[in-house]
Amino acid sequence: MVRHLPTLSIAMSVTSLALLVTQPASAETVTLGIGTQDTTTNTVTAGVVIRQLRLLEKYLPRDGKYANIKFELEWQNFTSGPPVTNAMMANKLQIGMMGDYPLIVNGFTFESNPESKSRLVGIAAYSLSGSGNGLVVHKDSSYYDLADLKGKLVSVPFGSAAHGMVLKAMQDRGYASDFFQLVSQSPEVGSTNLQEKKIDAHADFVPFAELLPFRGFARKIFDGVETNLPTFHGIVVRTDFADKYPEVVVAYFKALIAANQWLREDPKLAAEKIQQWTGINKEVVYIFLGPGGNMTTDPSIKPVLIDAATADVKVLQNLGRMKEFDPRKWVDDSYVRKAYAEMKLDYDAQLASTRNYEVSGDDAFCKKPIADPRKAGEVWVDDAGIMPFSSASCTLGAYADYKAKGKKINVAYVFDTTRGIKLFADQAFFAVGNGDVAPFLLKKDAEAYAAKISGKVLGFDDAVKAAVGGGKT
Amino acid sequence: MSSPALVRHPEDSMPATAIAEASRAPAATPLATPASFGTIALRWYRLNQGRLRATAIGIASLIAFLLVWHLLTTYRVVFFVRFTNVPSPLAVYASFTTAIHDPKFLMHILLSCRRIFIGFSLAAIVGVPLGLIMGRFKLVHEVIFPVAEVLRPIPAIAWVPMAIMLWPTNEQSIVFITFLGSFFPVLVNTLHGMSLVDPVLVRAAQCLGARERSIFREVYFPASLPHIFTGLTVGMGVAWVSLIAAEMISGQYGIGYFTWEAYSLVQYADIALGMIAIGVLGLGSSLLIRGAGQLVMPWRST
Repeated sequence: MVRHLPTLSIAMSVTSLALLVTQPASAETVTLGIGTQDTTTNTVTAGVVIRQLRLLEKYLPRDGKYANIKFELEWQNFTSGPPVTNAMMANKLQIGMMGDYPLIVNGFTFESNPESKSRLVGIAAYSLSGSGNGLVVHKDSSYYDLADLKGKLVSVPFGSAAHGMVLKAMQDRGYASDFFQLVSQSPEVGSTNLQEKKIDAHADFVPFAELLPFRGFARKIFDGVETNLPTFHGIVVRTDFADKYPEVVVAYFKALIAANQWLREDPKLAAEKIQQWTGINKEVVYIFLGPGGNMTTDPSIKPVLIDAATADVKVLQNLGRMKEFDPRKWVDDSYVRKAYAEMKLDYDAQLASTRNYEVSGDDAFCKKPIADPRKAGEVWVDDAGIMPFSSASCTLGAYADYKAKGKKINVAYVFDTTRGIKLFADQAFFAVGNGDVAPFLLKKDAEAYAAKISGKVLGFDDAVKAAVGGGKT
Repeated sequence: MSSPALVRHPEDSMPATAIAEASRAPAATPLATPASFGTIALRWYRLNQGRLRATAIGIASLIAFLLVWHLLTTYRVVFFVRFTNVPSPLAVYASFTTAIHDPKFLMHILLSCRRIFIGFSLAAIVGVPLGLIMGRFKLVHEVIFPVAEVLRPIPAIAWVPMAIMLWPTNEQSIVFITFLGSFFPVLVNTLHGMSLVDPVLVRAAQCLGARERSIFREVYFPASLPHIFTGLTVGMGVAWVSLIAAEMISGQYGIGYFTWEAYSLVQYADIALGMIAIGVLGLGSSLLIRGAGQLVMPWRST
């Protein structure tokens, strides 16, 4: 009997609290729930950056019908998209962000919701070539290509953007559906399993395909660029909220535009701050969001991304996971357009542009300006900052130079010679010969290029030595 | 006459033999058949009145539950709790019919049952003797109890990363998590049973010259059996509770995995189907343990 009393009082206080939280409009306080994915690095400018820099508070409307309304922001962090959809369905969140496949599932799930639909109102970040998703193996394994994984145990979070990448890659190569033993594991479970070598490979979305190699136990053998199918993370909103408070959604996009500007003004500081807020290493954040990074932050909804979403719907339908769904009817860019107009920016120009910001400046080691940013490189020196260099060979030379001077180096970046994606230099394969140092993600690409220039393929340490010696092997 | 035959339980061995005898008797004297059958049916009804009543009420309440669920979801009732998007029983039934035609679904259920069976059996094999020994020998109790008390409240889902690293195969990791779920209830209840054994019985046995082993076998073990079985019933329940956490590791099969995958694709009807399947399987396994308890402790069955 005695034991019932505290339980009852807790229940009472919880219900009264719940009453307080879930009764908007009657009072002047409106709760706006925003579901973020802090660890999914390409959504940070739509979530954690806005939150930490208090950008949404800055742009929220205060006049007219909003004079008497106080918005209470409730940020909730998740590690994947489906829980965000679940909370949005329950009207605990009004705005949410997730990757392409979960977004489609979100839109489709809302079709059967009588209270509200969901609309794709903007993009957090995208990669037109499909980079960001990737497949990693244990670094000690002998797998260097998808073909090496025939019959092996490969895990991927089902229903994620990475799952789509794997299915597309299998389709492109004409692999049968049982080519791999494909199983579903969340990033947390898959990472631990890979580290313990209980699975042969793990395919995952941002940032795991870079993060796991960076943490030192994995090697990326397949990048989404090889599928050449665009991938993106986007922002969905409940229509009942957006219809009632459209100005708030517009304010959210102003905050997002400001967050993207903040990122590009000082990418190094941004990476450091994002590490502090999300726990993802700054070097990994920078490979995605830094100049020439593998993700472009751009809120405009490009037709090419919607075409990709339409292709994704087909994949889900083939799996029997979905019935009819038309992504074109689910897109609503009016809010982001309005935000651009009110900030005196040109939305249509942004829509037409697919340019990222690039590595720029002068190469202090080879003493020349950077001409081709996708042939350049960067070295992150612990106390001096991130130094740009004009070529892979200059990057490796500078790296050796800093090492010789006893500087602490965090990481060095180079670009894949043919695919143009940013790589960790110490994970890359280098084709070296005839004074040329060409970095590659894949061993087979490096071998092909080395055959062409009659050089040979080196690992990072040997490539550094070769670069110091003037590109000779 | 068909309804009592349907409701009759297999464990009603006594009336069943009575009826068997009765049906053999009329063969000799066919004239007496209607009267004697009527009285026997009446007697059977009187004997099982309580159980029949309980069954009838149980079925009625299950139907009422389904009906309330159906009404709440059809009219999408919002009365503090919101049923707007909760799947209806018919939607769950629809996904059940598709699932039952899919051989994978049977595989999910079989594998989960196997995992639970192995994990639970290990827990019983380790937990019961350990509890008996801890209850009898103070030193063992003092050494093990603090560790057990620290590990006991840790939820199954928190064990997932450790379980992956501890065991060489995923199947072992999964069984380990279900083992942990049922181990602690078994241990704690066995201990509790041991602490309640009447010391007078122990002294009496000692006076009669019983040795340690006989005291264990004849006094402690039977006296704590009821509590051991309570522990086993609770442990079986918790093993099913920890199934979703355990099968997050699996990535392929298991009813917990089925439910988890349905969540990651936001398929509410399948989530409900998985929940109900776990509930029904849990009920079935608890009934099995209760049956085993009645076999082992005939003095307790009514």
